[in-house]
Amino acid sequence: MTAWYVVINYLRLTLRVTLMAFFALRAYRLRSAFVIAAIALGIASLTIIIASIDGAERKADEIMDMFGSDAAFVIGGDPNSRAVGWRGLTLTYNDVQRIRDELPGAYLSVPMRAKSNITLRYGDQSVEVPTLVGSTEGYADVWNWPLAEGRDFSAEDVDSGAKVVLLANGPKEALFGQRSALGATVYVNDLPARVIGELRYRGMASMGGSIDDRLIIPITTLTQRFNMDRKYVRALRVKFSDPENMAFHRENLRSLLRHLHNLQEGENDDFSVLTADEILKFISMFKGGLVAFLGVTAAVAILVGGFVLANLFYLSVTERRVEIGLKKALGAKNQAILLQFLVEAVVLTMIGAFFGMLLGMGMGQLLARLGILEILFSWKIFFISLTASGAIGIIFGLKPAREAAGLPPVEALKGV
Amino acid sequence: MSSALIDLQRITKSYRQGDLPIDVLKGIDLEIAAGEFVALLGPSGSGKSTLMHILGLLDRPTSGAYFLDGVDVAGLDDDQLSGLRNRKIGFVFQTFYLIPYLTALENVVLPGLYGQERSASIRRRAQEILQQVGLADRMDFRPSQLSGGQQQRVAIARALLNDPPVLLADEPTGQLDSTTSQEIMELITQINRQGRTVILVTHDIATAACAQRRIELHDGLVRRD
Repeated sequence: MTAWYVVINYLRLTLRVTLMAFFALRAYRLRSAFVIAAIALGIASLTIIIASIDGAERKADEIMDMFGSDAAFVIGGDPNSRAVGWRGLTLTYNDVQRIRDELPGAYLSVPMRAKSNITLRYGDQSVEVPTLVGSTEGYADVWNWPLAEGRDFSAEDVDSGAKVVLLANGPKEALFGQRSALGATVYVNDLPARVIGELRYRGMASMGGSIDDRLIIPITTLTQRFNMDRKYVRALRVKFSDPENMAFHRENLRSLLRHLHNLQEGENDDFSVLTADEILKFISMFKGGLVAFLGVTAAVAILVGGFVLANLFYLSVTERRVEIGLKKALGAKNQAILLQFLVEAVVLTMIGAFFGMLLGMGMGQLLARLGILEILFSWKIFFISLTASGAIGIIFGLKPAREAAGLPPVEALKGV
Repeated sequence: MSSALIDLQRITKSYRQGDLPIDVLKGIDLEIAAGEFVALLGPSGSGKSTLMHILGLLDRPTSGAYFLDGVDVAGLDDDQLSGLRNRKIGFVFQTFYLIPYLTALENVVLPGLYGQERSASIRRRAQEILQQVGLADRMDFRPSQLSGGQQQRVAIARALLNDPPVLLADEPTGQLDSTTSQEIMELITQINRQGRTVILVTHDIATAACAQRRIELHDGLVRRD
C-alpha cells in the first residue's frame, strides 16, 4: 500500500465520517444546541476582546495622528502637587513668544484659553457648545486639523481682537447642516462674530464629549469680550521641525520654561509637557488593562464552553455505546470512531464560533454605540475564532472520543 | 492446516470475576465448511454467546487457534480484525441494532462506508439488496417507522452489503412473533442456499430445525455435533 493510497483512504473516511456526524448532530439536536451555545458565548467574548483591542489601537493611532509626533503640549500647573495653592495659570503670552523666537527647532507656538458652555446662535436657531477656545493664527496647523472651508485666523485678526470665529464640525452641522457657514454672522453668547472657517470632521471622543463640539475665536477677542485676564494662557502647543529629536526638544522646552518662570534648582516645574511618547505610554497602559481584563473573561468563557462540550460528549459516548459497538462490528476501526466523535465536536464548535462571532459583533456594536468601548472588526477575528473553536473541539473532544474508540466491541454492544 | 472456512482448535475463554476465574469455553474444536448452515444451540450460560463473539472476531479467545479462511486471526491487531469483520462477516442481532436516526437505506450502507468502495456503487447495491429482502418501498423510513420483521430485514440487508462469506445470526427471531420469525428464517435459509455460510445462534430448537447441522454447547464444551 503506497502512502498516496493511505492518504486517499483517510480522506474518504474523513468525508464519510463528517457526513455521518451531521446526521448524528441533527439527531441529538438539544445536546448540540447546548454545546453550540456554550462555545458561542466564549467566542463572543473573544470577538469583543479582539475588536476592542483593535479599536483601542485605532484610537491610539487617531490620537497620535491628531496629537502629532512632532508636537508638544504644555499645560500650566505642577502635575505633582495638586495641593493647596495650586495654580493652573502659569504660562504667559511672553512664554509663547519666547518659545517661538528662541527655542531651537520650534517653528510654531500657539497659546490656548478656553471657556465652557457657550450658546451659539444663528438666526432663530441656537445650540449649546461645551467648549469655546481662544487661540491665535496657526491653530489649525498646530493641531494638524485641516479646514474644510475658509481660512485660519490671521495675525491681524488676533492683534485687533477681530470678531471672527472658526466652527468645528459639531456646531456647524447643528446650525447649518450641509450649507456653507462661511460669511454668516453667528452669536457666541451675545457676541456677534463672522464665520471665517470650518474645521473638518475629526470624529474623536474626548473627555466630556466630542472634540468636534467646539468654537474657536482669537484669544484676544476671548479675553476682551469675556472678561478674562490678559496675561496668562491655559496651555500652549509647540511644533518642531524634526520629530526625530523629540526627547531633546522636550528637555530644551522644559529648561527654557523653567528659566522664564525663574524656577530655582530643587523647585518643581509649574507646568507639564506632554508629548506623543507619553500619550502612547498611557494608551498602552490602558490597552494592557483591557487585554488583561477582557482576556481573562474570554479565557474563562471559552474554558467553560470546553468543559460543557467535554461533559456532553461523555454523556453522548455513554448513551451511544451500542452505536459504537455496532459500527465496530461492521468494521469501523478505532480511528474511524475517534474521528467520528472529534468531527462531531469540531463541527459543533465551528457552528458555535459562527454564532459567537455574530453575537460578539452585535454586543460590540452595542457597546460602541453606548460609547463604552471603541471597537474595530477585522478578518483577524474570523481566523482567531475559528482556530480557537477548532482547538477547543479537538482538545476537549479528544478524551471522550478516545474513550469511545477504545471501547471493546462486545462491551459496547451490551449497551449501558 | 484445514481447508475449512472456519477452523477452531482448542478454543478456551476465561473471565475473571473478582478473584474467581470463570471458564466460559473449555476447549472447543470446530470446523465449518463453506456453504454450511449451522445452528449453535445451548441453554443460556452454555457459552454460545461468547463463542459467537469469538467467531465474529468481536472478542479474542484466551487460548487456542482460530483460522478464518486460512488466516490465523490471533496474529492480527484490532484494526486488521476490523477490516476482516468488514469483509468476511455479516452480523444479525436479536435486537437489530439499527441506528435510529438513519433511514433504512443509510443503515444498510453503513458497512460499506468503512471500506474502500465508491459511495455510488455502495448505494446502488444497498438498494438492490433492500429490494431482494422485500423493502423496496421502505428505503427512506426510519427504524421507528418499521415493524420488527421489517427492521430485521434491514439488518439482514446490512449484513449482506459487503457480500461476506459468513453470516452470523445471534437469536435473529428472539424479538419477533412466530409468523414473522418464520419469514425471517425463510429469508436466512434462502441466503444460505445462495452459497453463504450461515451460523445461527439460538436456544430455540424449532428455529434450529432450519439448519443442516446442529452443534449443541453445554457448559463450555461441544456436547453434540
